[in-house]
Amino acid sequence: MSDHVSEFLSNSRAVPHLGAEPADWIALLKPRVVSLVVFTGAIGLLIAPGHINPLMAAIAIFCIALGAGAAGAINMWYDRDIDAIMRRTTSRPIPAGKISAAGALGFGIVLSVVSVLLLAMATNLCAAGVLAFSIFYYAVIYTIWLKRRTPQNIVIGGGAGAFPAVIGWAAVTGHIGLLPMVLFFIVFFWTPPHFWSLALYASTDYEKAGVPMLPVVKGARHTRWNVFIYTLILFPLALSPWFMGLAGAIYGLTALVLGGAFIYYAWGVLRDDQDEKGVSLSKDAPARAAFKFSILYLFLLFAACAVDRLV
Amino acid sequence: MSRAMARKLDEMPRVELTESHWSDEQKAEFLRRRRARNFLLLAALGGFCLIVYVIALVKLHEYGQMW
Repeated sequence: MSDHVSEFLSNSRAVPHLGAEPADWIALLKPRVVSLVVFTGAIGLLIAPGHINPLMAAIAIFCIALGAGAAGAINMWYDRDIDAIMRRTTSRPIPAGKISAAGALGFGIVLSVVSVLLLAMATNLCAAGVLAFSIFYYAVIYTIWLKRRTPQNIVIGGGAGAFPAVIGWAAVTGHIGLLPMVLFFIVFFWTPPHFWSLALYASTDYEKAGVPMLPVVKGARHTRWNVFIYTLILFPLALSPWFMGLAGAIYGLTALVLGGAFIYYAWGVLRDDQDEKGVSLSKDAPARAAFKFSILYLFLLFAACAVDRLV
Repeated sequence: MSRAMARKLDEMPRVELTESHWSDEQKAEFLRRRRARNFLLLAALGGFCLIVYVIALVKLHEYGQMW
């Protein structure tokens, strides 16, 4: 039996099973991911033309959060074997032995159903349908199908995180418009440079777990180029709502400045010195900085979109 | 670790201490956690009922019908 398995056993089995704390169930919902999803979903609601009862809007945001959390719980259920191996994820509730695998799956399925039903009741079938599809997309298409099969996993999987703005818009209007679709593609093309920046300095973890992330399969240099190219693609895409007349100057100028800054950070990732094995000589400082900035980028870009609409 | 190994680990009995082997502190901790879980479940069910009730009230107020 390998060291990893022994470690997994010692972590999760040989402890008095006193039951999970409420915080463990909340951890299963990936609260940090949910916070970004709630934000983009709320922006989708705010920028949509039309009126929605404030109580229904609050319930819609709650449902988006619940659905995203449910998908996260199903993800943790399926990934429990690799979570036990990767240092970043060993303390998650299932590998830590706090919550059983079956319990996590049941929790995720129940919350998925509840979130979709409540959203259908509170808003409309279009929003509920997109929410249901986004849960399926993350839990099945990304987690089960793509993640362990292709180094392009997060390129296609990035769609999962791009749905909330569409759901928010659909909750108000009952259909899917052009602006939320553009926002969808902005998040879609933002995901690869965001996630590959992280993967650059966590690649040994992914390699250990056998997840074919781009730095593991193609190497660090290839990944650095991809981070840079996707950031270049993102630049005109983020400006497109301004060019198309869907957003005003506040958004346009913000996208311009943020896009330029993101390209600067991606350039830093590309220019980072590495040895012949692809190990960064700066301990991946540019990749860490790019990862942190990418989160700020999305928050500020979406906030500017909302401010632009409301002013 | 393969998925087959993960499944095997799921099927293995937990090496846990039974209640008879627990110390007083562990028993108290177990009871505290179970109580917290039960209250959380109660709150979740109550919250669900409240949300459905609020949706019904708002829809009836706005359109005179649910759908």
